[in-house]
Amino acid sequence: MQNFRSLQLANQRKTFGLLLGLGVLVFVVIYAALTYFGKTGVGLIPFAVGLSLISVWGSYWASDSIVLTMTGAKELAYADNPKLFDLVQEVCIASGLKMPKVAIVADSAPNAFATGRNPEKALIAFTTGILEVMDRDELQGVIAHEMSHVANRDTLVSAIAATTAGAIALLSDFIMRMMWFGGGRDRDQNNNQNPLALVASLIVLILAPLAAVLLRSAISRKREALADATAVSFTRNPAGLRKALEVLQRDSTVVLQRSTAVAHIWIESPLDSSSVSKLFATHPPLSERIATLRKMEANPIN
Amino acid sequence: MSSTIIVLAVLALVLVYFIASYNRLIRLNVNVDEAFSQIEVQLKRRSDLIPNLVETVKGYAAHEKSALESVVNARAKATSATTVADVAAADGQLTQALRGLLAVSEAYPDLKASSNFLSLQEELSTTENKVSFSRQFYNDNVRSLNQSVKTFPGNLFAGVAKITSREFYEVEDPQDRKAPNVKF
Repeated sequence: MQNFRSLQLANQRKTFGLLLGLGVLVFVVIYAALTYFGKTGVGLIPFAVGLSLISVWGSYWASDSIVLTMTGAKELAYADNPKLFDLVQEVCIASGLKMPKVAIVADSAPNAFATGRNPEKALIAFTTGILEVMDRDELQGVIAHEMSHVANRDTLVSAIAATTAGAIALLSDFIMRMMWFGGGRDRDQNNNQNPLALVASLIVLILAPLAAVLLRSAISRKREALADATAVSFTRNPAGLRKALEVLQRDSTVVLQRSTAVAHIWIESPLDSSSVSKLFATHPPLSERIATLRKMEANPIN
Repeated sequence: MSSTIIVLAVLALVLVYFIASYNRLIRLNVNVDEAFSQIEVQLKRRSDLIPNLVETVKGYAAHEKSALESVVNARAKATSATTVADVAAADGQLTQALRGLLAVSEAYPDLKASSNFLSLQEELSTTENKVSFSRQFYNDNVRSLNQSVKTFPGNLFAGVAKITSREFYEVEDPQDRKAPNVKF
């Protein structure tokens, strides 16, 4: 039986497992760095983690205003689009969340996103295209999906994933550079090191950033699947969101600005195409999401 | 010495756990009250739309007396209800009556084309949605409160805090009873 409750639970567990995986990866990288460099590696760790923290958490803190600028979204007032605001209010009542800021992006490609560091600071934005092509039920599904990102605090989750992946990338980058410059392994300490352990730690350091990116993409995909399930828990109408995703599937136009920095926040990824490997995708394929929603339609909860 | 510290630590943990569960129970109870007042807010909104709707329909279809009267009567009843069961019953009747009135309106093209009616229709449909979402939110909250009242450790505090399980908000609606459509 797949219904929204079981799907929500499953996706929350999977995210937790993946975040744990990222945490373990950090330890593995640190361990590898220590094996390879001995004590000189230790000083790098706080530096890499600190740098990554500062860069990611700054953007997390001001996520609403930064994303507004990057996407060129304009904030709306009730009088600008009463129907859209009514729909958002409906979803707020269904979810018990506070009314978010509502914004619009002048773009003919149908798409939408949510951001903001907490539910009080939430912002959801829609392209002019999505407002044109979708009917009431479909838009309600899209809004519920975006409000689910707010409810599940996905800005926070993706900031944690980005920080960890960033720290791993920086750490392995530093170590590689140190190697090129013949950076000092503590030879006096590591003379009796097993050469196999040295090779293994080198391989770990080379592969770790790739693994971190893969884990980060997997987390993003699980959060999208979770948002679909949570959206159904709000509207109890899987058909609305399913039809909305079908509209997106039929539509071939893609949001103009293909900035990779904000690709993960849209409901339909502007980047993932068949040419990009499924493993690196920030979103599950639309066909898979539609199939899951159909299963939810078959197993309603009253 | 060390064993007394362990015993004290365990006791402290148990105490914290009980305080947290007690607070959770209180919070769930408050959530139910808030959710119910949200239903009342939305019902009030709908109630406020009705005089305008009735006037507009009268302008084009004055002889549809029974449909108009049932809406007016259901609205009057809804304003006097207070308990959950009464509010739900009156809400169900008004929903039914409104549906009847909108169905009748279908036969009057002039009415359907009037700008006043069109804007009322959008307002009514969003209000209907808000009413039904607030019911759903209330019932979800009642569901978690009742679960907590009946299970450990909530059941220990329910008596002390004078918190009992609550009634679900159930609306009599023949449309809900219909067998679901099955597509293959």
